[in-house]
Amino acid sequence: MLFQIALVSFAAFAIFKTWKQFSARKISKYWFIVAVLFWVVVAVVAIVPEATNIVADYVGVGRGADLVVYTGLVSLFYIAHRLMLRQHQLSDEMTELVRQIAIEKAHMSSLPEQTNTAD
Amino acid sequence: MRVVAVIPAYNEASRIGLAIRDALAYVDAVVVVDDCSQDQTFAVSLAEGAIVLRHVVNRGQGAALQTATDYALRFLEPDVIVHFDADGQMQAGEIAQLLEPIVQGRADIVLGSRFLGIEAENMPALRRLLLRAGVIFTVVLSGIKVTDSQNGFRALSRKAAEDIRITLDRMAHASEILDLIKVKSLRYEERPVTIRYSLDTLGKSPSNWRALGIAKDMLKKKIVR
Repeated sequence: MLFQIALVSFAAFAIFKTWKQFSARKISKYWFIVAVLFWVVVAVVAIVPEATNIVADYVGVGRGADLVVYTGLVSLFYIAHRLMLRQHQLSDEMTELVRQIAIEKAHMSSLPEQTNTAD
Repeated sequence: MRVVAVIPAYNEASRIGLAIRDALAYVDAVVVVDDCSQDQTFAVSLAEGAIVLRHVVNRGQGAALQTATDYALRFLEPDVIVHFDADGQMQAGEIAQLLEPIVQGRADIVLGSRFLGIEAENMPALRRLLLRAGVIFTVVLSGIKVTDSQNGFRALSRKAAEDIRITLDRMAHASEILDLIKVKSLRYEERPVTIRYSLDTLGKSPSNWRALGIAKDMLKKKIVR
């Protein structure tokens, strides 16, 4: 019972935060609906775990709880992969930035100094 | 023929002066990229007559080589770019041998090798073994057969320098260059070179574990990126 209360409370908190962000126009209506739907599903699954059995039966996994674990694992691997790619991209961008600064500085210092010709 | 040597350097103030003087006797210009050293590498290199660039954040040897190459291609109009080390292990007198196949028009890139007759001085046995393993790894991963896959002493024609773009910033650039030789169908030859290991250079060089890092970076590039 404690688990259900904790998860439903967390989902309610997440929906409240999403609504605050939506009210402050920080997220789009589309993203607001997607996020609310996600947390509603989380709350429903917490209250009625058997509900996942319907989907599990449909996709051919034995138990609903197993389906949740499998889906969670795959999602986490995907997120880790995306984060790794993003980290590589940032690292490449950082190298390019450092490179351009080095080249520009060396080039500028190789130019003859401009003399001030103002009267 | 205009030859430019490029030297990546990190905390090499005590040795880079000699390497620059040595190189300048055989090339038209030396470009040093100080990879955010904490010592006087920048000042020493400048005083020795090199063109010196500085990375404001440490990005690794591969990144420094590419920075030096970009600079040389943009401002120095080189016909050949020579990759040279800052630590005095390489002998600039051998640059002429690396240039010869390019001058003759037979090769786009000439790779130095420690395993073509000239015995490397004081090379530790484990290093030798790992280098042999590196050769097999390179054949399997990149489909290119060389005798020394991790030798940093090489000469690139302007075409090869423009074609080869190093994206692996750290130590795996040697493997990446071999991979790109195959991908870009560049003509290559190997030449024996003398590498002199000393207690000083061995103490500073990365541990043998770096072999694993190189393999990891290359696999990641091939599979993930």
